[in-house]
Amino acid sequence: MTASGLHYDRYQVAGRDEWIMRIGDPAAPSLLFLPPLFEEMNRTRAFLAAVMRRVAAAGYCCRLPDLPGTGESERALDEMRWQDWRDAARTAVDGARGVVGVRGGCLLDQGLGPCIWRLAPVEGASLVRDLERTGLVAEGGGAGYTPSANLLESLRTASPAGDARTVRLASDRGEADLKLDGPPLWRRSEPQNSSQLSDAAASDIVEWAGTCAAS
Amino acid sequence: MVAALNDDSEVDATLRAVLVDVLGLPEAQVAGFDEATPLFGALPEFDSMAVAGLLTELEERLGILIEDHDVSADMLETYGSLLTFARAKALQ
Repeated sequence: MTASGLHYDRYQVAGRDEWIMRIGDPAAPSLLFLPPLFEEMNRTRAFLAAVMRRVAAAGYCCRLPDLPGTGESERALDEMRWQDWRDAARTAVDGARGVVGVRGGCLLDQGLGPCIWRLAPVEGASLVRDLERTGLVAEGGGAGYTPSANLLESLRTASPAGDARTVRLASDRGEADLKLDGPPLWRRSEPQNSSQLSDAAASDIVEWAGTCAAS
Repeated sequence: MVAALNDDSEVDATLRAVLVDVLGLPEAQVAGFDEATPLFGALPEFDSMAVAGLLTELEERLGILIEDHDVSADMLETYGSLLTFARAKALQ
């Protein structure tokens, strides 16, 4: 098989099948990608796939789960609790050598092993404010997202925690181990990709993954 | 905690960069904006879905907090009105 081949596998959360996208040889060391949440997830899908293709070409198996209630999941978002997403990440990690989180995905990487890479990690409270603000301006709810009260309340107090290699955009004033030039694709109202950013992120992920011990 | 911005021109440069990054506008177009350039309702890219992302990105880059009651059509109307708002928040 070629490294660029894209496949959908299943993983189970609470007895229900969910989808997980895979790019790369399943026999290669694997990396779990945790996507941003809500609308940011859609805006960064092409970016994540591009990064995964580049990292797979360097000899890794990259996996990206649909969190329950998102993407192709058969479950309803408004029935999901924060714990369901934590459980999903814990199940999907499945012996991965390292975990790559982007934005809100970095709130779900705790307890998933010692090798964590984060791009533009964000406070849960900031994501909740963004949802509420979108609902206020668009007057149609949070851009069509109706997370449960439990999920919102847990998200509001969620914070990236624990040791990780942290990468941010040059425009981001937060502390980071590395800053990359590129646009905040998760903010774009019309999804776009940036090969400059996906190339740079993939290079750093490959270098970092080389330092992660085999589990 | 990051240090607050304390320079007028830095706020101007940050606002222009956010407009480029969030709305996907060409840099040359945004560089040509003046105080009277109409924004919300005038630029097709600047719709209600874009407003939330724009405000949140401004908060993060300027280290400010924008309350719901701060947000109004007037404040989003022109480049000048948005810049005045951002300066007042960032330099207070």
